[in-house]
Amino acid sequence: MTGDTHATGGCQCGAVRYAITTPFENPHICHCRMCQKAFGNYFAALVGTSKSGLSWTKGEPAFFQSSGIVQRGFCRDCGTPLSFAYDYSSRIAVSIGSLDHPERVMPAIQYGTESRLPAFAHLHTLPGTRTEDDIPADMMEKLRSRQHPDRD
Amino acid sequence: MVKIPLRKETHSGGCQCGAVRYTIEGALGKAGICHCRMCQKAFGNFGAALVSVPAGNLAWSRGVPSLFRSSAIVSRGFCAACGTPLFMREDGDVNYELAIGTLDDPDSIPPMTEQSGTESRLSWFHTMHDLPEQKTADYRSAEDMEKLKSLQHPDHDTEHWP
Repeated sequence: MTGDTHATGGCQCGAVRYAITTPFENPHICHCRMCQKAFGNYFAALVGTSKSGLSWTKGEPAFFQSSGIVQRGFCRDCGTPLSFAYDYSSRIAVSIGSLDHPERVMPAIQYGTESRLPAFAHLHTLPGTRTEDDIPADMMEKLRSRQHPDRD
Repeated sequence: MVKIPLRKETHSGGCQCGAVRYTIEGALGKAGICHCRMCQKAFGNFGAALVSVPAGNLAWSRGVPSLFRSSAIVSRGFCAACGTPLFMREDGDVNYELAIGTLDDPDSIPPMTEQSGTESRLSWFHTMHDLPEQKTADYRSAEDMEKLKSLQHPDHDTEHWP
């Protein structure tokens, strides 16, 4: 079953873009050690959909087979981690941060908590600053993003 | 009195597939997380978790990262063979901002001290620690666990890999 595109996304450089027509399912974060290393981070944030409802609209990802039955998609030009799928499954997950509107997806469960890092519990309590507080105005122009915009 | 030399602090890490590996001599610097929209997209995530490492203390012990210029003065290093985001570095900065999840022991970093780029912070960030939780073995059969056996580089240096 496919319908209208309700979400788009892609990598940082824009070489790979995707569109999703089937509903989102099982938004989650995963702390497992494989997601930590693949994403270079505390955890991965992923949201599922049907493989039939995800189309690569520009370029296509490279894949790393991280276990006997899992393929992880990424952009070979800029590295952005894009997708996670079991070979046998009809589902695929995309990385929430690669969505053009990550704010529309709310994770509902934590997986892989055997590897959860102790600092995770306190991250939200750290003092925070906005980018413009940290960067002098004359530097902001040099730091202007070369990232693909958050739309097709 | 015999002085026992202190063991020098070292760290190692690399990408998921092991094509790029690094060694760090000496202590790690300031650690924090960045929520800016560029870190979100580069890392495909809520943002980035980074620790400062003096560039002179870090050696690429296997392979080298590929670079993407995400702005006129910033390079982001990643593994071209598996995608793992490895670092960001501003031109001329004495430090790498290293992706903490790539360390073989990511729990060995100094305590996190700050969040930056909070203009883009996602609404669920402050409640994610309260989400219901499952261990991998809770939802995977023993048979599945065998099939899921990691092809990831181990969390230590290797003579030969894979």
